[in-house]
Amino acid sequence: MPGHRTKGFCASAAALALCAVLAGCGGSGESAGGGKVVLRYTWWGNPDRAERTEQAVALFEKQHPDVDVTTSFSGYDAYKQKLATQAAGGDAPDVMQLDYRQIDQYASGGVLLDLAKQKAVLRTSEIDQGLLATGRVDDVQYAIPQGRGTETVAYDVGTWKKSGVPLPGKSWTWSQWADTMRALAKKTGKPGATDPGQSEDAFEVWLRGQGKALYTEDGGLGFTADDLTRWWTFTDKLRREGAVSPAEQTTQLDGSVENTPLGRGTSVTDANWDAPASGFLALVKGGVALAPMPSGEDGTPGQYFKPSMFLGVSANTGHPKEAAQLVDFLINDRQAAKILGASRGIPVNETVRDELGPQLKDFDKTIADFQASLEGKLKDPPQAPPAGDNALQSTFQRDYDQVSYGRMSPREAAENYITEAKAELRS
Amino acid sequence: MTTTAIPTETQRVPATAPKRRPKREREGAAWVFLSPWVLGAIVLTLLPMAVSLYLSFTDYDLFNPPKWVGLRNYVQMFTEDPRYWRSVVTTVTYVVIAVPLQLALALVVALALKGMKRGKAFYRSAFYAPSLLGASMSIALVWRAVFNDGGTVDNLLGTGGWVNKPGWSLLAVALLTVWQFGAPMVIFLAGLQQIPAELYEAAAVDGAGKWRQFLSVTVPMLSPVLFFNLVLQTIQAFQVFTPAFAVSAGKGGPADSTLVYTMYLYDRGFVASHMGYASAMAWVLLLVIGVVTAVLFRTSRSWVFYASEGDR
Repeated sequence: MPGHRTKGFCASAAALALCAVLAGCGGSGESAGGGKVVLRYTWWGNPDRAERTEQAVALFEKQHPDVDVTTSFSGYDAYKQKLATQAAGGDAPDVMQLDYRQIDQYASGGVLLDLAKQKAVLRTSEIDQGLLATGRVDDVQYAIPQGRGTETVAYDVGTWKKSGVPLPGKSWTWSQWADTMRALAKKTGKPGATDPGQSEDAFEVWLRGQGKALYTEDGGLGFTADDLTRWWTFTDKLRREGAVSPAEQTTQLDGSVENTPLGRGTSVTDANWDAPASGFLALVKGGVALAPMPSGEDGTPGQYFKPSMFLGVSANTGHPKEAAQLVDFLINDRQAAKILGASRGIPVNETVRDELGPQLKDFDKTIADFQASLEGKLKDPPQAPPAGDNALQSTFQRDYDQVSYGRMSPREAAENYITEAKAELRS
Repeated sequence: MTTTAIPTETQRVPATAPKRRPKREREGAAWVFLSPWVLGAIVLTLLPMAVSLYLSFTDYDLFNPPKWVGLRNYVQMFTEDPRYWRSVVTTVTYVVIAVPLQLALALVVALALKGMKRGKAFYRSAFYAPSLLGASMSIALVWRAVFNDGGTVDNLLGTGGWVNKPGWSLLAVALLTVWQFGAPMVIFLAGLQQIPAELYEAAAVDGAGKWRQFLSVTVPMLSPVLFFNLVLQTIQAFQVFTPAFAVSAGKGGPADSTLVYTMYLYDRGFVASHMGYASAMAWVLLLVIGVVTAVLFRTSRSWVFYASEGDR
């Protein structure tokens, strides 16, 4: 389709120009040294994940002396923006880590390679079929899930114990959670939790606890302004009471554990995904433990097991075979799994998981045990979010900023959000 | 140069003297030498501008081919997008704070340096250095750390961190720009040195004090330079991006308080994947800057004094 190509070219030229005008993005051309195949592999995460990834990649390079893998990583927010720009310019990395929210947009935009065509080097037989299917769009396997994750309340064990407030049990409702945060704030003098009002993820858990969902099956909004107003009224009140973090701290969240109040030592707990919670270990002296997310008042669980992240290969890669080999290695290789542990969630390869499970150590074991404690109790995950959701995540946080700084009432901000969300999902 | 001085030369070697090449051929050579710049202008400036103009009439999400929507982006921008107007107000506020502050500081420092007998070169470089460093992301990040809660300014003044207070964050961004007053300062300095010393002597003889001299000699003589700096800095201020981006960690926050125009443009284009909308915003910005510059030129007639006009 020549029409497509010219448009694509024009588009990338425009993106390039915008890019140059705006921020002076660095160029990304790199040359292969010594005739080696050079693969670019990018992902988001924390330093703990970086260290393990580097080790695994080094092992892969040892096994494939003709392949050179260059890796880069950043925090989730920055990663999301950079990847979108690269993909638009036809310069997506050969192998890229993707979020559930990105799959739909990237697949339908022609950025991803059909991985079924690389069957010879990429095995998927040992992955749970239901989980594997989450990487499919229109029956094409565009991405392979890399792990299974779920949300958790990570907490500073030392500080919590010292406060005298009873440690969290196997379950709690949102109102029990709120009371506990108030008690923690009273005893420790610092907020109990990060203000969950800014987090679309936390809101989803709260919604699901009431039997609702973020999106309807046809990709529309699954909740109303009333629902969101109730949620933001709830969190706004907690913030005013000092039970959750103040606006000045909440606004600094950027998807990295370092910038959460818990990571900065200014709160006792933080709601996060279980795998990245490992990043808190280096930051919290008192040790970190995991508690389940609060449930609805009648005990309906809101959290769910989600494919934590995916690996995809660029449709434009010059080395589809080697790229697929790297994906295969990261997902199916036993030694790689041993190195990576649970840094990206519990492994998806069932043989590896069974074998690795008992050997998991330290925080990897904490995550595995946490997931085991929830096994069979949670409801089915929602379908992959529609393409517009990718932008809405930041909109959610931004609209809540207006509430936490007292510039809008929860009702006003909620109505704003609904308007923006409807426009976003329609286009 | 007269031709009579070299007739003997040309007569001596008439056969080997190169015949003048035809005009077209000379032009060809010129084009060859110009080509890198011409190509650069076409490929890196004109073509992207044309594409961006086209995209501004489309709905383009970076991934799928652009869809023609006519004027919808422009209509949406002006009538349905409160955040757009918030970004406009923020940008104008920023321009009004940052430009006068920066120019005043540049002028004061230039005046101080002009009269300096020793160490001029050192101070000049010292004051210019922030302009070289300031454009970089790293300094902007240091700025963020300094004004963050728990940062240096917080510790010294107990302000609780400016970058996290919606009422103060824009000031923190403006200060970062004001601090980079080196370029206008150097231009002011050059302008000041152009003012003939006799004017000051004459003024002094007439009994004018330092302040009177400044108002009656320095300001009018410097007005073309002042005008130049004003236009340049205003245009730059409208396009402010890096400091706002770094100070708000790329979000224009807290609560949209540092969401300047280009930040919102960036947000629409690269975060929300609405390149068409972002392109439309870019063209409106271009037009507005053009209008503002034209207005500045208009008003300049009444206050900018050019020495040559005295002859008229």
